Amino acid sequence: MARKFSNTALNNQLSGFQKVYLILIVGFILGPFLPLIIQSLAFRWAWPDLLPGTWWMEQREVSRMPLAWDYVLSPYSRILEATINTVVIGSIVTVICLAICLPAARVLARESFRGKSGFEFFLSLPLIVPEAAIGIALLMIFIRMGIAGSYLGIIIAHLIPTIPYMIRMLTAVYQGLGKDFEEQAMILGASRWQVLRLVTLPMLLPGVVAGALFTFLVSTNIFLLTFFLGQGKIITLPTLLFSKISGGTLDASAAGITLIVTLPGVILLIISERFIKEEAFGKGFGN
Amino acid sequence: MTEVRLNAVQKRFGAFTAIESIDLDIKSGELVALLGPSGCGKTTTLRMIAGLEAPTKGEVLFDGHDVSDVAVQKRNVGMVFQRYALFPHMTVEKNVTFGLDVRGLPKKEISERLEEILEVVQLNKFRKRFPAQLSGGQMQRVAIARTLITKPSVLMMDEPLANLDTKLRGEMRRFIRDLQKRLGITTIFVTHDQVEAMELADRVAVIFNGKLAQFGAPQELYQQPNSTEVADFMGASNIFSAKLVAADRAETSFGTIDIMSQPGLKPGNDVYVMLRSEGIDLYPESEAPQGAQNLISGKIKAREFFGASVQYVVGAGEDITVAEQSRRLLDVGQPVVLSVQPDRVWTIAR
Ligand SMILES: Nc1ncnc2c1ncn2[C@@H]1O[C@H](COP(=O)(O)OP(=O)(O)OP(=O)(O)O)[C@@H](O)[C@H]1O
Ligand SMILES: [Mg+2]
Repeated sequence: MARKFSNTALNNQLSGFQKVYLILIVGFILGPFLPLIIQSLAFRWAWPDLLPGTWWMEQREVSRMPLAWDYVLSPYSRILEATINTVVIGSIVTVICLAICLPAARVLARESFRGKSGFEFFLSLPLIVPEAAIGIALLMIFIRMGIAGSYLGIIIAHLIPTIPYMIRMLTAVYQGLGKDFEEQAMILGASRWQVLRLVTLPMLLPGVVAGALFTFLVSTNIFLLTFFLGQGKIITLPTLLFSKISGGTLDASAAGITLIVTLPGVILLIISERFIKEEAFGKGFGN
Repeated sequence: MTEVRLNAVQKRFGAFTAIESIDLDIKSGELVALLGPSGCGKTTTLRMIAGLEAPTKGEVLFDGHDVSDVAVQKRNVGMVFQRYALFPHMTVEKNVTFGLDVRGLPKKEISERLEEILEVVQLNKFRKRFPAQLSGGQMQRVAIARTLITKPSVLMMDEPLANLDTKLRGEMRRFIRDLQKRLGITTIFVTHDQVEAMELADRVAVIFNGKLAQFGAPQELYQQPNSTEVADFMGASNIFSAKLVAADRAETSFGTIDIMSQPGLKPGNDVYVMLRSEGIDLYPESEAPQGAQNLISGKIKAREFFGASVQYVVGAGEDITVAEQSRRLLDVGQPVVLSVQPDRVWTIAR
């Protein structure tokens, strides 16, 4: 319903300039993908040709090695393993991050205590300290603890940059929520658990979904920490991509992997977009 | 029905004392207004009665029983918040039945009580809507219905009318008054509008700075305030310092006037006298009554016309405000004579 409305609004109300502007923005975002797509289908694409001189399809039968998409989708590329790792790690990191940040954000939003502003600053430190520094420090610790190169190590490492974002996001959401709703529910006779289940969580939902989505995306994109702590034993999409392009050539299979790497984010975005609209805003939040 | 009593209740937030000490005695079925300026502690008082806040000292009694240890959920009170706090993700129906749903009542009883209450607040048409799709008055009725459906023994409302426009306010005032009389629920509501308090309440508790300044029927507060602050807050305009020359005579800067003697005030005391602006008769100089008590002559300094009524400021040693029906209009500068009955002069100790 909302979508239909915005469509008609676009057609009826946008001026020519606004349309051009929109197209430019869309072009700016999607533009970089175009050469990637072409590259992933090319066999030979030399400068300054606008299109590849030889396409992958033409060489497919000739070559004895799997080429381009054939390679990407074959077991040799390890892309399935990397995708599963990425998604599993991202999901676990998101859940743990939520569990840590929900209560913390509640306290930060509602209570005032000594050293609160200092604590808030402390929370944003991981965003300021370079990832490489954190990575090397963690690696030294984790090697001693024997969790370097394990899922546990990577998950802990991923929590470090994601927690500050999540806490900030949820604190803002909690501040917007106000105590009134929960107190009202209590006066109406709801137990603590009923308050959480029937009032707090549904009302926080848009913020929680946005925070979870963001955390997941950040986790799936972390390269350096994963690279250090995975020690080559655990590969994710970003580390796989890096090992593919670190030689300096961007060939068809690297382009293909790059495209695959963007997929989880895009899929997630579409799902959550629908979810947030239907579950929360459609029920009278936004309008 | 429940009788509510606050016994020397104090509330501190850290080093800050929000409520110094309040004693309040609310009879069963009574409609009481808590009136006071912003920040005086009205909301805090309500929250302590509801159990959302624990008193630092003193006790809250329901029907003579201390409820300090009774959790919010078990107090069986209702509270309508200033901003209504309707759950935005639930329809009107779901909002209204929330209190019954969490109690796990049988579906049949819930739907019966829902129909009944929707009838009372006339929200049948809007039952499937979400709060964001309602007007201010409709939201408020949902908030009231949601509270009433749980059959609370004490109903509290925090500035229930503050967010409404003038016309709707009048309607909702009458609605609340009727409903309260019909159901006979002990009701406490907060307001900082003295007109609203007087119109709605059986008794009004005036609170200043965390202290109960006066507690009484509206006409008592209006005509017999016990301090100039209360008088001021109730909208009095003519308060002048004076000295008692006899138990029933006061010397003021506009002459010595006869007053009603009040217990506790003795000749020689410094006092304030209060003349209600609508209790003063105004005569053009030529028509001044002969031999009447308390004649004060002066000159009209300003005139404000409100349609049905008109208000003059008369210069007579002090500026005295006089209000009357606008059956005639006198001109600024016209010499006039004021007359006030001794029983319309109220004296406040200084
Ligand atoms: N949780 C709290 N922590 C610290 N101070 C508080 C807290 N709640 C209220 N106060 C203070 O207590 C005083 C009384 O607050 P309260 O909310 O009861 O005022 P009020 O009479 O309802 O005012 P208003 O008409 O503006 O709503 C205020 O000075 C307020 O700042
Ligand atoms: Mg208040």
